[in-house]
Amino acid sequence: MDAASQAHVAFFLTGSRPTDHLEAVEGLGLRPAVLSGYRELAGLRYDFPLVLVANRPDGPLVQSLSGLMDEALAATTGDVHGERVRQHGLRIEREIRARVSNGATGLLSALWDEAASRLESGAEPSFGDSLRRVRTAITVDGEVADCDAALPARLLRHAWSAVQAKKAAAFRRHLDRLVLKLSDILRADFERSKAGRDASHLKASVGTGFGDAFDFDAMSHVLATTARTDAFPEARRQRIRHLLAVLTAQRFFASPDAYTFIFNSCGDALEAFRGRLPALVDLARAIAVAELEIDGQYSELRHDALFEQFGANGLDPQDLAAFPGYLVCVNAGQLPAAEHARLMEILSSGLPIKILLQIDDILEESPDGQGALTAGMRNRQIASMTIGLSDVYVLQSSSSNLYRFREHLLGGLTYRGPALFSVFSGASGAASGLPPYLVAAAAMESRAFPAFAYDPAAGTNWAARFCLEANPQRDLDWPIQGFAYEDEQHQRVSEELAFTVVDFVASDRRYARHLARVPRAQWNGNLVPVDESLSRERKGLPDTVPSLLMVDDHNTLHKVIVDERLIREARRCREMWHSLQELGGIHNSHAEALLARERRAWEEHAQPEAEAHAPPAPTAAAAGAVVMGTPAPQEPDRSPGEAYIETVRCSTCNECTTINGKMFAYNNNKQAYIADVTAGTYAQLVEAAESCQVAVIHPGTPRNPQEPGLDELLKRAAPFL
Amino acid sequence: MSPMSATECLLQMCDERFELEDYQSGVPRWCTGCGDNAILAAVQRLCRDEGLRPEKTVFVSGIGCSSRFPHYMRTYGFHGIHGRALPIAEGVKMARPDLTVFVNTGDGDCCSIGAAHWIHAIRYNMNLTVFLHDNQIYGLTKKQASPTSPVGTRTNTTPRGSYLEALNPLTVTLGVQNVSFVAQAVDWAPELLYDIVKAAYHHKGLSFVRIVQRCPEWMPKLLDPWLHDPGRVQLLHHRNGLLPGAGSVKVYTNQLEHDPSDINRAREIASNTQVVPVGILYRNPEVPCYEDLIGSDKLRTADVTRAGLNAELDKHTVWPRESHA
Repeated sequence: MDAASQAHVAFFLTGSRPTDHLEAVEGLGLRPAVLSGYRELAGLRYDFPLVLVANRPDGPLVQSLSGLMDEALAATTGDVHGERVRQHGLRIEREIRARVSNGATGLLSALWDEAASRLESGAEPSFGDSLRRVRTAITVDGEVADCDAALPARLLRHAWSAVQAKKAAAFRRHLDRLVLKLSDILRADFERSKAGRDASHLKASVGTGFGDAFDFDAMSHVLATTARTDAFPEARRQRIRHLLAVLTAQRFFASPDAYTFIFNSCGDALEAFRGRLPALVDLARAIAVAELEIDGQYSELRHDALFEQFGANGLDPQDLAAFPGYLVCVNAGQLPAAEHARLMEILSSGLPIKILLQIDDILEESPDGQGALTAGMRNRQIASMTIGLSDVYVLQSSSSNLYRFREHLLGGLTYRGPALFSVFSGASGAASGLPPYLVAAAAMESRAFPAFAYDPAAGTNWAARFCLEANPQRDLDWPIQGFAYEDEQHQRVSEELAFTVVDFVASDRRYARHLARVPRAQWNGNLVPVDESLSRERKGLPDTVPSLLMVDDHNTLHKVIVDERLIREARRCREMWHSLQELGGIHNSHAEALLARERRAWEEHAQPEAEAHAPPAPTAAAAGAVVMGTPAPQEPDRSPGEAYIETVRCSTCNECTTINGKMFAYNNNKQAYIADVTAGTYAQLVEAAESCQVAVIHPGTPRNPQEPGLDELLKRAAPFL
Repeated sequence: MSPMSATECLLQMCDERFELEDYQSGVPRWCTGCGDNAILAAVQRLCRDEGLRPEKTVFVSGIGCSSRFPHYMRTYGFHGIHGRALPIAEGVKMARPDLTVFVNTGDGDCCSIGAAHWIHAIRYNMNLTVFLHDNQIYGLTKKQASPTSPVGTRTNTTPRGSYLEALNPLTVTLGVQNVSFVAQAVDWAPELLYDIVKAAYHHKGLSFVRIVQRCPEWMPKLLDPWLHDPGRVQLLHHRNGLLPGAGSVKVYTNQLEHDPSDINRAREIASNTQVVPVGILYRNPEVPCYEDLIGSDKLRTADVTRAGLNAELDKHTVWPRESHA
């Protein structure tokens, strides 16, 4: 092994950089080679910024600016001016994106106006016309949000508010209907009372136009003496008044002094929920009793005792679903131990509390610099641990992926139980000069922070509940990206690079000491890509060293090697990814073992047999088999000559019961049977058999050998025996 | 299906249980042997098994033998005018969507004088269960030809035999826009009749069930070939349609697997006059109901009603002309 290779291996094993063979990367501003094309995000069209739509309650809650522009351009570029309008539309989109990435905030309409006024000065005359056309086609408006540290909470609050508004509207409608119907009951009761039939009240109810046309005293007298005065009991009246009081005083929805449901602390949310629980139970009970009252079904005898203990065990998730959910937004980096305990208490309690756990840094190093590389592991694994609780909706995603995960986001907010949204904001990238979007996307791409959703309501097994689809190339350990560059001979070189967690860590300046730049002259076959290195199992002295391709601020290519500590971390990350893959049904070890076993069994036994015998043709019976709903009724044991009816085939035509209502009767389904064969004659049995429209009466043999005309009757009975 | 909440369970815990007798009212005055009795028995059994509260259930009929149906149900009922059962039922459903509304109509009531209402009721697809009692004759008025009488039927109005081919209620219904449920039953197969009536009740939208029915008084032999030859009853079955009981499968061996979502195949089956197809011909739960399309969430308070009435009346009020100065 030459001196350079020895130095490389030594760095790999110890993390120590001999200065004559390796160079430090600090200060070079390196980033992974595949990120070289993403220096100016504002010049690229991608999902961000987002428009948090505020004026379309039944439409999408959030739209990407580029998506909105695409729709508007498609609607406006159909004529000869199309290309011009498209160019101008894309110009203002780029301007808005640049302003937002520089910190501008506000409504889309306001940002549009600002961008338009800046671009219009000095632009060609047709520019204003193009903008007017495109602007007219954009019908939505709302706050514009970029992918930054504030995005997770802004987006979640926006979506939560929209979900609650819909829920509140439905609840309010329900409540108003109950109040109206209960008031109607009291009003009807009053109208039938003595006061309601009083002459002055009758006069007031007719109005002023025809006040003199009636004799209200006479009318009152007539009503008092002829109409029923069955006013309902005072207890019922009191009950309805109490229900009205509870329904109108509720503070959960659309009330002047409504409760707050958004919190920044798990403890506060928990305390609020528990403090309001008695009022919640009272309201739920009042709604249930009101439904019975309105339907006229409430019975003190039956229902008083039932509702006395209502809610003693709390309310179940289905009952709670009608009431507002709670939203808690917390930052994992500022979560004290007590708050952490409260978070787990909420998640394990089944309460309808949705928690946003925002993680700004998944690479923070442990204070002593020992052990596992990332102390942030605890926070990023909360989501995985929470899945173990089974009945919690869990979503994990980088903020760069939140727009694509918007349906899952809504799924969690509408889920009946608790939900955890674990979101990596990418804000830690600022220290390394990378925009949060790029850091968040790189975390997801590198499997450092994979995206998944676990929805307990979606089914009963992992296949239905667990979704891993958002991750790129999820069948692979690491996604593969194409990368092209120009070499020293100015020739284009294309490579395929795996984007591993080491690439992600390498883009963070805090970990520069785990990297060493290899001078171009020392590049050799012993420097292998990280993914290749990870796939090799080292048994002795390493003969290769893992390396990365990185670029500096001038997009010059560099090769850097990494120490073993990063490789250990990458292995751990890959194992965690493998666990998620198995949960998502990818390379599932149980399924693959089963498949291998079945394949072996088939090769040993079934295949020779299958080849020896041609497959039998399907039988006619099998091809047309009827799927039956109910089994055939059991045929009762009958003695020979006994009279009977095929009751299930009786069409209730009344023929037999008209002949003899004691001998023939109907069962619970109003189908005939022989109730008492001794209650009539054999002649009646034969007559009934002849009259039966569907020929289901079988008269049997005569019981009385002395019955007159028996020979003739037996001849008539023969077809029905 | 999501499980019931504890509160929903509580609300249902004290529900009254009903017996067949709770739905029976009076002794039917239909002729002995009339197929209407079989339909009545099946519907009463449905009401009991589904626990339909009599005060929340309405039967609406037009005119004819079949239309005496509401008299024999101890529920709310509306014995309407000739051909107008469907619009009355639609009005009931529109005003009281909480009620379960059934319609009993005959071949004359529905397919002749009420034909226009029939077609538009299918198009409106309101959540009603419609039973067409088709005995192929006007029985109440003592034998006149109805639209479904077979060609050549001798009656008081067609003494030389009817001239026209019979109208097929199934193919007509299957040809109307927005049709959502079409089934056929025969009164002499009570188990199948019950299964079909039940499936119709559970469909959300207008369920149209044609029940081929015997008239022992005026058309005693008409259906004998079908009645005495189970092979001429074609039993339609499918995993997504009717799952006939084992008893029916044993008796009716002429069986056809038919997916009720296939409307073209349904039309083909309905056109076959050699056999009587029995089962669900077509079902599409996705067709919207008219009441859902135009229904308003707005509460009808006394003030809203008064304001609406005043607004309507003001449109026609003749205001005194203001005196000229």
